[in-house]
Formats: sequence, structure tokens, C-alpha cells
Amino acid sequence: MWLVALKSSWRQSFQLMTRYMFNMVSGLVTMYIIFLMLFFGVKAVGGSALNLGDTLEGLFTGYVVWMIVIIGYQDLAYGVTNEAQTGTLEQLYLSPVGYRWLAFFTQLFNSLIYLTEITVMVVIMMLTTGKWLHLDLVSVFPLFAAVYAQALGLGFALAGLALVYKRIQAFFQIVTFGVIGFFFIPWDRFPWAKYLPFAMGRYLLEKVMAGGLRLWQLDGSDILVLLISTGMYLGLGILAFSAGESRAKAKGFLGQY
Amino acid sequence: MSVLSKDMPCASRDFLEPNFLAVKHLRKTFLDKKRKVEAIKDISFSVGKGEMVGLLGPNGAGKTTTIKCILGLVKPDSGDITVSGIDCRRNPREASKNMAAVLEGARNVYWRLTVWENIIFFAGIHGVSVVKGKEYFEYLLEELKLKDKRDTEVRNLSSGYKQKTAVACALAKMTPLVFLDEPTLGLDVESSYELREALKRLQSEEKRTIIVSSHDMRVIQDVCSRVIIVSGGKVVVDAGVEELLSLFRTRSYRIVLSRNGNGTSLEEIRRKMTQVFPQAGMTETRDTVEIKVDLKNAFEIYELVDTLRDLRAAIETISQEEVDLERAFLEIVRRENEICG
Repeated sequence: MWLVALKSSWRQSFQLMTRYMFNMVSGLVTMYIIFLMLFFGVKAVGGSALNLGDTLEGLFTGYVVWMIVIIGYQDLAYGVTNEAQTGTLEQLYLSPVGYRWLAFFTQLFNSLIYLTEITVMVVIMMLTTGKWLHLDLVSVFPLFAAVYAQALGLGFALAGLALVYKRIQAFFQIVTFGVIGFFFIPWDRFPWAKYLPFAMGRYLLEKVMAGGLRLWQLDGSDILVLLISTGMYLGLGILAFSAGESRAKAKGFLGQY
Repeated sequence: MSVLSKDMPCASRDFLEPNFLAVKHLRKTFLDKKRKVEAIKDISFSVGKGEMVGLLGPNGAGKTTTIKCILGLVKPDSGDITVSGIDCRRNPREASKNMAAVLEGARNVYWRLTVWENIIFFAGIHGVSVVKGKEYFEYLLEELKLKDKRDTEVRNLSSGYKQKTAVACALAKMTPLVFLDEPTLGLDVESSYELREALKRLQSEEKRTIIVSSHDMRVIQDVCSRVIIVSGGKVVVDAGVEELLSLFRTRSYRIVLSRNGNGTSLEEIRRKMTQVFPQAGMTETRDTVEIKVDLKNAFEIYELVDTLRDLRAAIETISQEEVDLERAFLEIVRRENEICG
């Protein structure tokens, strides 16, 4: 049953992706334009005015991580809202596999597509800006995956909120910009900040992409922090989703919008 | 003949496993702006395997909440629900393998996907692969007259076809229990008829347990053998459709009096009838007076005839009223409301 459900979910994700291709491409183009504005804006004022990193390469890496986070969490959080809006959410809940797993299958498919797209986009960005990052895929992909998994945790938590409070897109926007704050709280003054979502992922990705280190050259304790925080945020997100789901079922407005 | 074969979950030819679906003392209260609303007060019923049962009730009676509690989409406050012996509250995933539904007020399908893509997706997430189900899916398209629309995106279809696609997706899951909540809502007469005919054929061939909730009494009367009427969060009637109709048929009378030759004035007839049978209704034409009355029990017919004889009324005809489910339903709900104040 699980394999059939996974295949069906992936087939449907691909079909919907082809039907909504314009929407997906325009989203990526928008992110690319925002990046160009940021990059050349910061370059023009001669510093890291937006505090996205210590260097232009840092800004570059920070932006890539931000992109992964946004795509990772928005897809899940907006997914619930969209399914409720289109009147298919309750049908997905009728599956013996369970909505949570179906959402996860969809994310698994999307993550493969998006991570490939982001990689291609990073190459385009590098060509545009003339700033070259180290794209050692063996080192970069596991870190991308860890950041993406944390983003899924955030996505699950927000999806749980969306089940209960329905129209919370305005809150999604706040979160989109709020997560930038997690990246740049100085660890020397606030040592706990390295445990914040995405902070360690961004730090290690900067080491790899801007600093040229390989995965095995990274500090073991940093990788441990990344693994622990990834597991913790994904787990917390799923717990928050379960709580939202349970509340929506008790209130009887699971499929309402 | 259906292509659902012996290896498919709903292919049982053993008619009526009496407690295939059993709902016992179901209760659900919602909190609406700090006010408690008892959506379901105490609902109990059971449905046998292979039965096609109508779930009726006025708006807010608790039909959809009951269905959603069974499906696990709403968490009940208390009560037991079992499907094929599986406890739906303790083991919802296992129970959901046996259930599919078309839900009221929702699209139920993806408008951006074609009819075929929707069918294979919804069947797939229920564990039915294209390889296993292809022949049956084709059969459903044929039965529901969707074959020509197979590769059309649902958004480009009329509401009738959209609804039939939703029904096809629910049936494609091959579950032994199917809920159809308002399956003909918004359909024109022809589409509604086609869907009803298809449902009757499918049910008779596959012996699935189908529960239909509808405001359209013709649908229930046409396709269901049994009806459960819910009002005020309780089951007020649980009877066979024919049994229910005959109950009302035997007690509903239409008496036509001639206006010529009556020994008593019309006013006197009206006064006396209102006194003895306050539930009676009277209409007048140029030549006749028509009385419609629902008697409380079978013996009241004697009292009625005696009253008319005392009034020296010239009876032209006495006939039993043709009762349909809609009339029976309205009468039951009216009486229930009177009892509950």
C-alpha cells in the first residue's frame, strides 16, 4: 500500500507541477530578481547593509539558505491551505496512509525538484554576479537536506496552525522575513543562538560554499549540533502539526476554509 | 456485470453482515462562540453489508457530522463506531481502508487534473494500483458515462460530470463501505437520473454498503431500501423505505364531498371536522370539497366516516393518498419538532 501511495503521490505532484509550471517558474524568477536587487544593492553601498553575511559570498550563501527555507516551509504550510481551499484536504485525510505521510511524500518529490532547481539557480546567480561559490555537491547536498528538513519542521508547525486558524498567510509572510533573524544572531554574545533553526546550517554552508571546506573538514561538534537541531525542529514541527490536527478534528473544521 | 472480482475487498456476495457498520451512542458537541451546540445528542444505528441506506434529516440535524465522525474527520465526544469489526476511534487507519466518501460542499477532486488522473490518484492513495484497478476504473468510466471525458481536465467539465468524477474516485478505492453526502446536489434532472441509475446498477452488482445522505427525497426513495431519519441530533426513524411509505399510505386519506346534496352547510362541516380532526385540511372547488387527513391510527377511519355520516355529507370518493418519502419525511420532522417544542 505504501509504495502504491508513494508512486501515486509523486505522479500527481508531477502532473500538478506541469499544470502549474508558470506559477513555479515565476516564483523562481521573482527570487532571482530579489537576489539581484540585494546583491547589487549591497555592492553599491559597499557593505553588508542588510546583514545577510560578512561578505558578498556570505550574503550569497545566506540567500541560498533562505531560499531553501522558504521553499521548504511554504510548500507545506500553503499546501494545507490550498488543499482546504480546493476542497480536497478531507479526501486526503481519508487515505489509510494518513495525511502526514502524503504531505511528506509530496515534499520528498518537491525537495528533489527544488534542490535541483536551486542548484541550477545558484549557478545562474554565480554567472550573473561573477562571484564563484564552491559547489561540491557531496558536501553541499547533505547540508541543503538538513536545512530543508528543518524547514519542513517549520512547515509542519505552520500547517498545524493553518488547520486551526485557516487564513494565516499574513503570518507566513512575517515568518518568511523573521527567519533571517535566526541566521545572524552573533554566537559569541549569544552562544545558544547556534541551536536556533537554520543557524548552524547556514554557518556550515557558508564554510563549504564560500570557504571551500569539504563536509569531512567541518567541525564534528558543529555537525552534531546540526543533526540534533534538525531532528529536534522536524520532530517539534510534526508534534505541533498533530496538535493542530487534533484540535481541528475536535472543532470539526478540518476541511473548512 | 461488474468487473469487481473475488480478490477485491468489496466483492462479498454474502448479503447483510448485520453490523457491518455499527454506531452506538454517538455524541458530539461543538463550542460556537462560547455556546455549546449539541450536533449529535445520541445516535445509534447499524448497517448490514450490502445495504444501501438513506440518511435523511433537516439542515443541522447532524447527518454530515455523523458521517464525518465515522470517517474520522471529526472527533466525537463519546460513542463507539465499528466498521467490519474494526474500532474506528482506536484504529482509524485500519478502519479507513474500508471506507470512501464523497463529501458535501467540497470539490473532492483536483480540477487541474483529468478525470483519469484523479481516479488513479485517489485509488492509489488508498492502495489500489493502476495495474490492479485499471479494468475496474475503465468499467466505472463506462457506467458513469465518463468515458468520453476521460482525458479532460475536471475544471472544463459541467457540474454533473464533476460530481460523477467525485463519485468515480470514491468507488475506485474499492472499499466495501461508501458514503455519498449529497451526491446529486446541483445536478440537472438528467444527470441526477443517470447517477442514480449507475448507483443502483453498481450496488446490485457489487453488493457494497452505500450510505446516501441527500435533501433530494427522490434520490433516497429511488436508490435506498432503508432510511434513517435524523432530527435534532437523534435518530427519529429507522425503517425500510417501503415500510415507512406504507405506514403513511395507510393513514393518509383524501375524501371528496359533493357540494350538491350535502345535508349540512359547508361551514358546519368545517367546524365539525376541525373539532374532531384538527389535522385535516379542506379545499373547495366549484362542485366539490376535498378533505385531506392523516389519521393517527387505523381505527380513526371509522370515526371519520361516522362524522361525515352524522353531517349528512355526500361522499363522492374516499381514497388513500399517494405518499412519497418527502411527505413522510416532512410529517415526521414536523411531529418531532412538536414533541421537542
